Amino acid sequence: MTFHKGQRVEIFKKSDDEGWDSYMDEYVGLHGIITDPDTSINDPDALVEISLDQKGTHRFPQDCLKILEV
Amino acid sequence: MSEKSCPVSNTIAQLDGILQSNRVKNPKSRRIVEELRQLLNDIAWGRAGKDHLPSVESLSQELIDEETDSAGKETGSIVQSAVHDYRETIISHIVTHNCATGDCVRLVPAPCQMTCPAGIDVPSYVALIAQGHDDEAISVIRRDNPFPWVCGLVCTRPCEFMCVRGRIDKPISIKFLKAFTAERALSDRRYLNPPKESDKDKRVAVIGAGPGGMTAAYYLALKGYGVTVFEALPVAGGMMMLGIPRCRLPREVIDREVAMIEDLGVEFRFNTRYGKDITLKGLQSDGFEAVFLAIGAHKSFRLNIPGETDFPQVIEAIDLLRRAALGDRRIPGKHAVIVGGGNVAIDTARTCLRLGSEEVTIAYRRARAEMPADVEEVEQAEDEGVHLAFLTIPKAILGKDGRLTGLECIRAKLIKRDDSDRLFPVPIEGSEFIIEADTVISAIGQQIDLECLSDLKDLKWSRRQTIQTNNVSMETSIPGVFAGGDAVTGPATVVEAIGAGKRAAEAIDRYLSGIPQPKMPPVPVRRTRVEWMEVPAGTKMTLRRPEMPLLNLERRRTTFQQVELGYTENVVREEARRCLRCDICLRCGKCVEVCRDMMGVNALEFGFLNFDHPAPTDFRLTAERCILCGACAENCPNQAIRIIDRGDERLLSYCGTILNRQKLERCRECGAALDPPRYLEFLQKRTQNISPVIADRTRCRACARRRTAGVHVENAPAG
Repeated sequence: MTFHKGQRVEIFKKSDDEGWDSYMDEYVGLHGIITDPDTSINDPDALVEISLDQKGTHRFPQDCLKILEV
Repeated sequence: MSEKSCPVSNTIAQLDGILQSNRVKNPKSRRIVEELRQLLNDIAWGRAGKDHLPSVESLSQELIDEETDSAGKETGSIVQSAVHDYRETIISHIVTHNCATGDCVRLVPAPCQMTCPAGIDVPSYVALIAQGHDDEAISVIRRDNPFPWVCGLVCTRPCEFMCVRGRIDKPISIKFLKAFTAERALSDRRYLNPPKESDKDKRVAVIGAGPGGMTAAYYLALKGYGVTVFEALPVAGGMMMLGIPRCRLPREVIDREVAMIEDLGVEFRFNTRYGKDITLKGLQSDGFEAVFLAIGAHKSFRLNIPGETDFPQVIEAIDLLRRAALGDRRIPGKHAVIVGGGNVAIDTARTCLRLGSEEVTIAYRRARAEMPADVEEVEQAEDEGVHLAFLTIPKAILGKDGRLTGLECIRAKLIKRDDSDRLFPVPIEGSEFIIEADTVISAIGQQIDLECLSDLKDLKWSRRQTIQTNNVSMETSIPGVFAGGDAVTGPATVVEAIGAGKRAAEAIDRYLSGIPQPKMPPVPVRRTRVEWMEVPAGTKMTLRRPEMPLLNLERRRTTFQQVELGYTENVVREEARRCLRCDICLRCGKCVEVCRDMMGVNALEFGFLNFDHPAPTDFRLTAERCILCGACAENCPNQAIRIIDRGDERLLSYCGTILNRQKLERCRECGAALDPPRYLEFLQKRTQNISPVIADRTRCRACARRRTAGVHVENAPAG
């Protein structure tokens, strides 16, 4: 999956990636907008930055994200 | 306490009042009150863990036990009785992150603030700029970011990307407003550092004088810690100083902001490399109780193509930028080729031009749409004469007699693979070509220099070769050692590093004070609620985002003078007035629903309220349809819509935007102010069937009563 700036996404599951911390479990089901696809674009392994509704801006592994059709 | 108010936010408000009134004089008690406030704030924002409530209880008991301080005792009792009376509600805040009253989310930050990695209260400082209060604006910014001027010039401005005004026309020019106000407030030294807390007699070592390290140093110094920053280079600034050319960020701007941090007593030790000149053991034996690693990511990735190590004219972008920043003005080559597509590649190309390269080419293996560099920086580089070669993969470095002569490249096409929708560049066979060059500069990314941390055997690393930390507390696998910035995230932005430095300072403070770390990362905090400025709807709609004036092209190609010349004062104040004040309007849409569905008027064309599918917005249309009934204002949960009578007018405003103003009808007998004609007409229509006797609404109540009282007596049934 490629993520672009401005896409609306859902954190639809926990990730097995080491970039996933236990507190992030509480973010599962939340929606947000991608503000930085990754630090070096087109890297499928990079953590992407998402501004979550009401929860601030954080970086997440890509495998826990689903693009929402808007 | 009424059921409608939240015991958590109510207790926080009480503690705020106690702290502001300075009633608790005993320093130890005061500190405990501050810690209690911090813990309750965590609870209010859903960041608390299982240790929070026991800590609140034990700290409040400690206050009560303090023999010499009656105000402290009283404060401890307030907290303890709140915990006693509302234990279940408080536990619900901690466990479910739910505040039934909504009080704890009342001050919901605006999207721009939520998006800022440093969590700056953008709407508040933009409002202060609109009012001309530059010092106060900088004071608000520096609550979350000690580098307002730097960020005003080089921030990647995620805030603007989320700006709700962008759903109407164009986002507010937040970055440039910040640059203007920082320049104003800091250049004439009107703005001063906030006062420090009392000395805690504890020392913290910060490794790295980049944005993350210096931000942590700033906030730790404010909290009363003795902070020493160790820097391998002879100057402070890190990537801000060495990775960004002066034409974008003048050195003096960094110097001025670093000086403000130094003014707080932060000590800088330059030319001191971690791993060589200092070690963790040494720092600990020198009395440092916590260490913050903010070493950045300064080591370039190699191109890994034949010939790369054969010629000294193959250089790393970061090296070139560092040399230029430190004063080396030698031309890197007449024909320079930079490999990469990020901001570092663009900055390197623009630096080469200014150092005197005649031809500068950026070779990037994907297309323009995939370039990670900031679009405006790319445009400026192209204007200056940088040539962009897309879909170009470097294949080999060519040379003769020890001199580099060119870069052999191969054309690429972008294809999708079966298992991914990602576009991959694939070489087109037989499409090799040579770009003539006498220097090739690698700008394909940076990584952390692992070697310098080799003494930290217990330090855990991620598989991305970054320091593994707890993302909330910034703690590494070594107790007392924290890390943040590029060393943890990989190469990221200045503002992300600043956000990490601020979080680290809070975490280190908690660590050294023995209070629990939060369970969740912080949510940006509203700093204030600035009164709005009144702006007519027509003005709000017609003001346009201004263009940034640029230095002329000739100078841009030859000097390191600042390219963006800045807005004028008039432009800044006008631009700030375009802000919609999303800190006040929560965009719930109740006003629109009430006006359209309940009143049947449909006067509010607020299409921007739908963030994902914005519809047209026109504040001017309200005046055409609105009857000034006030139903929208009455139903607004955050007083974003206000209806007031002023003089002989009734005004309806939305966060200061005057949507409608109409003259009030006067009582035909005594001249007292009534309602506007449209509203009277509306009332008349609504009540004509049930109350014909008061159908004439052009008299005030008193006059109407006087007029009809006699009739009532005459018509009253006898007896």
